[in-house]
Amino acid sequence: MSRIDAIARSIREFLRTFVDLSVAERLLISVAAIFLSVVVGFFIILASGRVAACETAAWTMPVTGLGFCYDPFQVYAVLFNGALGYPFAFGEPGLFNPDWTPFNLSLGLTLSETTLLVFTGLSVAVAFRAGLFNIGTQGQLVVGGLATALVVVAAAPVFPTGRLGGIALIVIGVFAGAIAGGVWGAIPGALKAYADANEVITTIMLNFIAANIAYVLVLEVFRAEGSSVVATQYVPEHAQIQPWFFPGSADFAEAALLAGVLFVVGLYVLIEHTTFGYDLRTSGIQPAAAEYGGVNAKLTTVRAMTLSGALGGVGGAVWVLMSEGRWIASVPDLGFDGITVSILAGNNPLGVFPAAFLFGLLKGGALEIGFQTDVPTELVAVLRGLIILFVAMPEFFRMIGRYAGLDGSGPASGATDDSAAASEGGEADA
Amino acid sequence: MRNPLNEVHVPVVDDLIEDDYVRSLALAGIALAAFLTTLGIGGLLFPDSIAGDLAGIVFNAGTATATARLAAPIVLAALGGIFAEKSGVINIGLEGLLIISAFVSVYATSLVGAGNTVLGLPAIVVGFLAGIAASAALAGVFGVVCIEFKADQIIAGLAVWLIALGLAPFMSTVFFGGVNTPNLGVSVGWSYSAAMVVVATAASWWTLNHTAFGKHLRAAGENPKALDTVGVSVSRVRHAGVLLSGVLSGVGGSALALSIGQFVGSGETMVQGKGFIAIVAYLFGNYNPIGAFGAGVLFAGLDAMQVRLQQLGYAVPDTLVQTIPYVVVIVVLALVGRTRLPEAAGEHYETED
Amino acid sequence: MNPAVHLDSITKRFPGVVANDDVDLVVERGSVHALLGENGAGKTTLMNVLYGLYEPTEGTVRIDGAPQEFDSPRDAIDAGIGMIHQHFMLVDPMTVWENVVLGNEPTTWGGLRVDADAARESVRELSARYGFDVDPDARIEDISVGVQQRVEILKALYRGADILILDEPTAVLTPQEVEDLYAVFEELTDQGKTIIFISHKLGEALRAADDVTVLRDGINVGTVSTDEVTREDLAEMMVGREVLMEPAADPREPGERVLSVSNLHAEDDRGVEAVSDVSFEIRAGEIFGIAGVDGNGQSQLVETITGLREATAGSVRYLGEPMDDVSRRERIDRGMAYVPEDRQERGLVMSYELTQNGILGSQHDAPFASSGRIDWKASRDHADRVIEAYDVRPPDREVTAESLSGGNQQKFIVGREFERDPDLVVATHPTRGVDIGSTEFIHDRLLELRAEGKAVLLVSSKLDEVQGLSDRLAVMHEGAFSGVVDPETVTEEELGLLMAGESPDDESVETARVYEAAGDGPHGGPAADEDDDRRNGPAADEEVDA
Repeated sequence: MSRIDAIARSIREFLRTFVDLSVAERLLISVAAIFLSVVVGFFIILASGRVAACETAAWTMPVTGLGFCYDPFQVYAVLFNGALGYPFAFGEPGLFNPDWTPFNLSLGLTLSETTLLVFTGLSVAVAFRAGLFNIGTQGQLVVGGLATALVVVAAAPVFPTGRLGGIALIVIGVFAGAIAGGVWGAIPGALKAYADANEVITTIMLNFIAANIAYVLVLEVFRAEGSSVVATQYVPEHAQIQPWFFPGSADFAEAALLAGVLFVVGLYVLIEHTTFGYDLRTSGIQPAAAEYGGVNAKLTTVRAMTLSGALGGVGGAVWVLMSEGRWIASVPDLGFDGITVSILAGNNPLGVFPAAFLFGLLKGGALEIGFQTDVPTELVAVLRGLIILFVAMPEFFRMIGRYAGLDGSGPASGATDDSAAASEGGEADA
Repeated sequence: MRNPLNEVHVPVVDDLIEDDYVRSLALAGIALAAFLTTLGIGGLLFPDSIAGDLAGIVFNAGTATATARLAAPIVLAALGGIFAEKSGVINIGLEGLLIISAFVSVYATSLVGAGNTVLGLPAIVVGFLAGIAASAALAGVFGVVCIEFKADQIIAGLAVWLIALGLAPFMSTVFFGGVNTPNLGVSVGWSYSAAMVVVATAASWWTLNHTAFGKHLRAAGENPKALDTVGVSVSRVRHAGVLLSGVLSGVGGSALALSIGQFVGSGETMVQGKGFIAIVAYLFGNYNPIGAFGAGVLFAGLDAMQVRLQQLGYAVPDTLVQTIPYVVVIVVLALVGRTRLPEAAGEHYETED
Repeated sequence: MNPAVHLDSITKRFPGVVANDDVDLVVERGSVHALLGENGAGKTTLMNVLYGLYEPTEGTVRIDGAPQEFDSPRDAIDAGIGMIHQHFMLVDPMTVWENVVLGNEPTTWGGLRVDADAARESVRELSARYGFDVDPDARIEDISVGVQQRVEILKALYRGADILILDEPTAVLTPQEVEDLYAVFEELTDQGKTIIFISHKLGEALRAADDVTVLRDGINVGTVSTDEVTREDLAEMMVGREVLMEPAADPREPGERVLSVSNLHAEDDRGVEAVSDVSFEIRAGEIFGIAGVDGNGQSQLVETITGLREATAGSVRYLGEPMDDVSRRERIDRGMAYVPEDRQERGLVMSYELTQNGILGSQHDAPFASSGRIDWKASRDHADRVIEAYDVRPPDREVTAESLSGGNQQKFIVGREFERDPDLVVATHPTRGVDIGSTEFIHDRLLELRAEGKAVLLVSSKLDEVQGLSDRLAVMHEGAFSGVVDPETVTEEELGLLMAGESPDDESVETARVYEAAGDGPHGGPAADEDDDRRNGPAADEEVDA
């Protein structure tokens, strides 16, 4: 190989690493899906604003003069701006809000949700990469969270109340959550591997079972005395993950988010660069090839589900130790949102972080919508469903791309043509 | 995994039912009937025992009507699921179809106003039809997304569920100011639900087994190319299958909401996983409408029984009893293992021309 | 009288490939016409044009002299054409009659009920008229491949076909069933039907057809009457050069026992016994061949040996140790190389780059992994070595497996497995769908492995391949060995009988398999399945290479 060839090759390799075509396409589709959901949501707001009853119109459509109870522009402005704590001041001369500080309550709430979704998103993504559809992260989170709360409350008296004791308790609590979630996740894994029971169904059922059993356990055995809701005792203050800069009422701790980022990187390395990851991915894409390559498919299934469950359990631990300070029966839908996050991220751990942040924004924004507008906050749940729907149909966007005449220059098709031409040339003299 | 019941042979049953799987279900049914008979006799002999109470529950008219009411959404959605999956489209969004039809049926009824009529149809009938239409429309969107845009069926089905789960309480809040609608004050009697379930089961069975459409549906799910090469459009057959799942789920969801006269939108909504149990019911019934009917009634019966148990004051926490059907589903799935999916289910099909 | 079919100057282009170049084809009514050529010669494409699956780029299709424009198979069916694809278009869990009438069901009660009795009657009547022995109520999954083929023919006849196209109809049949098929051909042509069949076996074209048209590289090389042509002529027309003989293996003194299989039983995925009581052994420096019609338990036998399937009884010993509880991974580590039958399901992960595919099976072992981390540098170097040594085109380790042609996919797998430094090589259909040049190369490598003292288990449905390479040859029929023979002395007739499960004592069957070109069976991958070429894009290059 000549010197120039070698250089050309290394340049191409460099480009390939950074502009991985399928990842780029995936990203494009995710962004398009979000955009399309926002557009559809716009019309839903308009339509519901038309039928809802109100004294004065919040928005009047230009030209037609039709009045609507909800102003979709305001809704989206509140949704995204509010989730960040209003850094932008629309209509003001400066555009930016001079009083804004990054460590505000709203952004704290947004990041709190982001942190939790990083864990549940990773949980779903790991299973997905192994070809398993884990709908059960919710249940794993419920079980893991409960284990964390119970273990930390029980272990607290043994440890000193200082900083070190707190850290020890937090570590123990997170491990307890991971183990409990892992065991709960291993059940559908084992059922899938050894009894061929469809994991989609079993995990959905296990979600109901987890919620019910945890509820009864707390109601009958572990309920805090004098509590008006079904909840355990609070874990001691020093065993809760405390914020460094954000207000305590935001239920957010930077340390937890940092841990989340470490998990993201760790899982990326695990999946892409280890033999375990290779086995897991291969089982996910082509189980027959994995078996041929000496991968124990059943064991990989159980392992992947256990890992997935453990991540869900860690999510539960963080929820207890950072957000609530105790296990409470009204567990938010973090596990289900994890599915959305993972799908939006293309099941790539690195994509989980931005996807989790987006859903964190939606969650934080939903609260603001509730405060600032009359629009029901369930709107955000609708947007969530729409995003999944659109992400699920890449062919739709490719079709739009073709109609727009982007086909010839599209990255994906270009690559196929290249390799086709190359293999033709190669075969001609065979 | 081998089904041990396949080894058991009963001459008469064998002749009636070719399919091993359905035969084992039928045998399980006979065993259950035998158990219930024993229970009934035991209850009559010793009325004060637990058996007496249990017998009282099982053979109670209240339990029967509750079963009919609860079975409607499960069985009808399961029948719908059969049509979709037989055609090759796995519809995991049945839950969403039930939710949307439950809400729209109540909303449309209240819009007309209980007691009023439209074109001679009482409000509740209009509501029923509106619920079916809403569910069919959502299923239609799902079909287009899956068949035309080649979406992943599981993810798209999940999206249908999540959209409905958000949209129904959202609309309820817009129209009624809360996630639960006020009670309409009118409702559909349990006997109507029961009749619809029976008729739909029989009609589905006939359609699948004795009509040309049924054969095409099966071919589309098993070997779409075979259907395509004889000149029948695979995507048209699949659209029809998915739309039927929407219509049947619509009947089920409307029946559920209108039998109470209210839509409850908090938490998992009043549908509470019945769409997922419906999937289990038809897998359990091995895609046979009659099997799905049996499984659906069984699940509904369990649910109805736990309600009665609590009314009798057994100190079992109600939540724990509610968990029983879910556990049963897992145990059964683990024992029965894999049911044979249609060969091409979940796969996209591209026509050659 | 006009010919039944007249393809007039048909040209069919796909992006970058000319599949048919100005091809003329004339088929007389009531005759059997063979379309002969190697893989990728454009036979299937031409027939797909006739059947309305493809629109010709140029040229006209005439049926009984009248020009036709087919937009879809529907139009072709209406014009009296029926096609029996290589992969049968049957719905397995449905019955024979349901399949035959699919899409044209007779109905009663205003369309609400399929008239099953009328349908059964039609099937019985047709089946009687052409001397088929088919039970209308049997399920497709319960009947043999030969009978399934008849159901396909019935399907076409039920739709009023006068012209029947059969794509590689003998690929999945035993020699006996092949004879029966020829009888069916005669019965059909006696009653005025016209038959076109696609084949790459010239023996069968000579035996069954009245006329033969040879295609090569998409061009009609010539149409000849089978009365006036010799095998040698046809072979040269097909290949375009003089035909090379298979390399003969020189006899050798075999070494130690590497693999011994005794009284092995195994089941297929449905739980039906597929391997019954098979015993044999292979020594170092020996090639042990297994011949047989596909689906007689070869796959299950091989999977049991390589650790992908559990034996129900009997034992496998490898290098003197029992393999009962030894996992697939452990067997790979102990030096078992395996070229699997299904390269796109098993042998390669289609969406992985060659680098990642190169370590499939060795992902846990040095030098590709150390303490759980994959060493991508070593993996890349390994992929480059395989690509270089086995002439994989394009020579780029970063392309995905799915973008390679079938032949190159196979070369990569063969390279990866042979380079493992194995003690035992299990090769199933190693040259299926591979062009002639690569076939010769793979054969040479197998002989080299033998010379290096490796034990080789070679499974193939190509008789010349197993016969030419093996030191000992077993024939498998319905899960058991119907015989183990010396490939030097055994005759084609004896092999044919063994493949049909009979012992070759007195009866003799005329089988004329002289030369089988780089043939393919029913699972030949995209290159063999020309229907898929258009979608798979790159695989279409096989069209021009052979």
